[in-house]
Amino acid sequence: MQELLQYIFSGLTNGAIYAVIALGFSILYGATRLINFAHGEFVMLGALGLITLWQGLKIPLAIALVLAVLGVALIGFLFERLAIRTVSRPEPIVLIIITVGASIFLRGVGMLVWGKDAHSAPAFFSFAPIDVMGAKLLAQSIWILVVVVALTFALHAFFKKTLVGKAMTAASISKKAAWLTGIPYEWMILLAFVLSTATGAVAGVIITPITMCSYDMGTLLGLKGFCSAMLGGLGSLWGALAGGIVLGVLESLGAGFLSSGYKDAIAFGLLLAILYIRPSGIFGAKDLHRF
Amino acid sequence: MKDPEMLDRDGEDGGAPILRICGASKAFGGVQALENVSFEVSQGMILGMIGPNGAGKTTLFNLISGLYPPDAGRIFFNEEEIQRLPTHQRVRMGIARTFQNLALFENMNVLENVMVGQHVRTRCGFWGAIARTTGVRREEAACRENALALLDMVGLVDQALKPSADLPFGWQRLLEIARALASRPRVLLLDEPASGLNALETGRLGDLILAIRNQGITIVLVEHDMSLTMSVSDRIIVLDQGRVLASGTPEEIQTHSAVRTAYLGEHCEQR
Amino acid sequence: MTQSSLHETVRIGLLTGAVAAAGILFDNAYHIQVLVFIGINTILTLGLNLLMGYTGQISLGHAAFYGIGAYTSAILTVHFQFSPWAALFPSLGLAVLVALIVGIPTLKLSGYYLAMGTLGFGMIVFIVFRELDFWTGGSSGLAGIPSLKIGSVDLMSGRNFYYLVWGAVLGTLVVSRRLIESRVGRALRSIHGSEHAAMAIGVNTQAYKLQVFVFSAFLAALAGFLYAHCIGFISPGSFDFMASVRMVTMVVIGGMASIWGALLGASLLTLLPEWLHAFADYEMIVYGLILMLVMIFLPQGLLRGLLDIYERSRNA
Ligand SMILES: Nc1ncnc2c1ncn2[C@@H]1O[C@H](COP(=O)(O)OP(=O)(O)O)[C@@H](O)[C@H]1O
Ligand SMILES: [Mg+2]
Repeated sequence: MQELLQYIFSGLTNGAIYAVIALGFSILYGATRLINFAHGEFVMLGALGLITLWQGLKIPLAIALVLAVLGVALIGFLFERLAIRTVSRPEPIVLIIITVGASIFLRGVGMLVWGKDAHSAPAFFSFAPIDVMGAKLLAQSIWILVVVVALTFALHAFFKKTLVGKAMTAASISKKAAWLTGIPYEWMILLAFVLSTATGAVAGVIITPITMCSYDMGTLLGLKGFCSAMLGGLGSLWGALAGGIVLGVLESLGAGFLSSGYKDAIAFGLLLAILYIRPSGIFGAKDLHRF
Repeated sequence: MKDPEMLDRDGEDGGAPILRICGASKAFGGVQALENVSFEVSQGMILGMIGPNGAGKTTLFNLISGLYPPDAGRIFFNEEEIQRLPTHQRVRMGIARTFQNLALFENMNVLENVMVGQHVRTRCGFWGAIARTTGVRREEAACRENALALLDMVGLVDQALKPSADLPFGWQRLLEIARALASRPRVLLLDEPASGLNALETGRLGDLILAIRNQGITIVLVEHDMSLTMSVSDRIIVLDQGRVLASGTPEEIQTHSAVRTAYLGEHCEQR
Repeated sequence: MTQSSLHETVRIGLLTGAVAAAGILFDNAYHIQVLVFIGINTILTLGLNLLMGYTGQISLGHAAFYGIGAYTSAILTVHFQFSPWAALFPSLGLAVLVALIVGIPTLKLSGYYLAMGTLGFGMIVFIVFRELDFWTGGSSGLAGIPSLKIGSVDLMSGRNFYYLVWGAVLGTLVVSRRLIESRVGRALRSIHGSEHAAMAIGVNTQAYKLQVFVFSAFLAALAGFLYAHCIGFISPGSFDFMASVRMVTMVVIGGMASIWGALLGASLLTLLPEWLHAFADYEMIVYGLILMLVMIFLPQGLLRGLLDIYERSRNA
């Protein structure tokens, strides 16, 4: 029982991180119908960026957090401007190859800047772990869960309540209609990229105290975030949250009771299963091609 | 192939229906695109299908060709139930179509588009292609000859080696018809073939449609150009909001009051 | 067509001549080795190009089949004392079988989902290579893979292996060429053009996608077999996500839907690390930049794109 609870706690923490990454995929997909294969690399940039700013340059934590997220959002901005906007034939196969290229490129840059070694950061706060029926719940974990739920609420409010958020949703439904109603479609795409990469960076900064960070951490995290987004239905914010938590807990239980070497395979097996059985996710609606 | 003079022009009696739709329905989310639509098409006739935008005409074609499954209803081709068959099998049986928004293969030239249209009438498979036997070569040569003949029929033989995307719009429509004919269909579904064509091109299209019918091919023609539809169709069926509003000869339809208000009136205002 | 196939025959003849000449001219073992790797990569690229370039179906997990070819043969020869030639058929067979099983559900997907599905598949296979350490040696790899022999002649000696690999390359080129210029090739290209239109003209798109997927897996496994017996040691790192990306890059550089481009892409990307010392540090940056720049500016591939620019500048 205690063991089970412990696995669930660590699964919740990881799941919350996957959820934030999934949010990034969903924001972008919701606004542009595009999947960014480099999303995981933005998580990596956020994490290593924070470590450099906070531990390396000794910038106070609060400021370092903001700078890391803003810095990554700026890279997201440049990415959209330089590599996505410039594409003459925006077909999926072209965009897939470009974002895969960007992912490899950013990983290469990460390796040059931070080297091949893993880095870590101390805990943000030094509270003692809470004891729940013998299992330890780290203060860090609670903090992460709070951030994730708050972020989902904030994004939800942004898309449902603000004019810009509503315009982004409208633009994704019909480019032409958005243009007719005067919504600057191109700006909406850009904004979606910036928001999406910024949430990626948020995932990166909150992960730093609980895991070792290195230039190649993005690929796995990106895939798991995508798997979570698919679980919850791509494009749905609450689905992303639920999907992330489910994946995190499943993985942690799998690693605990089966084998830790195959832990990562759980996410991919789940991903394939969803893709095969219900590509629209558990909550998503099925859309048909129009002729 | 039947002598066209022998065909039953009215389609009321005599000619067996080659295509029969019984109670077809299809909804997209909350939109009922088709609701309990039934009609039949006799062998060798030209059936005109009209109706305002969103009436469900394209959706009906998609059900017949199998790109969407119907929610309810049955579809018969030559008295054989086909609504469960995959699209490619229906093409093999003899149902060909064109698309309202052109769907040419832009990565191929004009000739190749028509050659690939003969897919269901040729056989060479994976091993045959690798072995490249004399039989395979002969088939390839015949396929090419056929394609050139079809291009000649629609007047595009001089364009054979151009990339299909380089053709002017009107020619692309003709190319799509040639590609559909390449599968040697018994029924040809044409989805707004005259849209985007000028008056001269539309006139030629009318002749082409009649020529195709004279080869014994049954045609269902969805078209907004009233003079074209009225002049070539043997019968007309009017679709409105997913239902059959009326059907009859072109003369009957033109005098039908409900049709005038629902469609022709609205259509005139648009002009 | 007759004229273009004549050109093709001439080109393949020229390539055969060049292969023979290079075999005679190069006597440096290192150069021969590089040529062997170019050949192996060309086979990989040709297979992936049929799938990606001609049929328009992306695979980000093709290294899995390369690995299955390599590991099956390695395990059978190292642990079960199979002769390498006897291991060839099980290796290719297993890759074909896996491709069939995975391909049936995966190829129902398209676009981003297909890319993610194949990526996930590739990752799972990579994890299996790494974790089944009793058979595969885990992360530290599997050594002692015997070299190929014909009778008592060791193919690893002199230029024998070079001729073997390039014989396979020429065979693959001819077969790919014939496939593309046939009814099958047109059907594949129609799927790339528009999958729905391909269905509407009667192409059984599912069956054709599966066929080309299996064939490209077969070629990848063949390359893997040659690779394993060429260097005698394999480890999971050669079949990871980066390996799949490398294969995609070779296709993209040469130009999707170009058989001769495959030869160019494989040559360039095999030579690049040999020319650039310190390449290992910049490898990812270079590959990433190539993928992005080629797709943005020369989506027809480096060769075609540069030729187009040249022609335009001459006409201007
Ligand atoms: N794939 C689809 N998804 C959602 N709605 C569709 C789809 N295809 C058609 N519709 C809807 O079905 C109705 C009929 O459309 P359609 O058959 O294209 O009409 P028509 O061809 O007569 O203009 C329209 O309201 C259209 O918006
Ligand atoms: Mg329509």
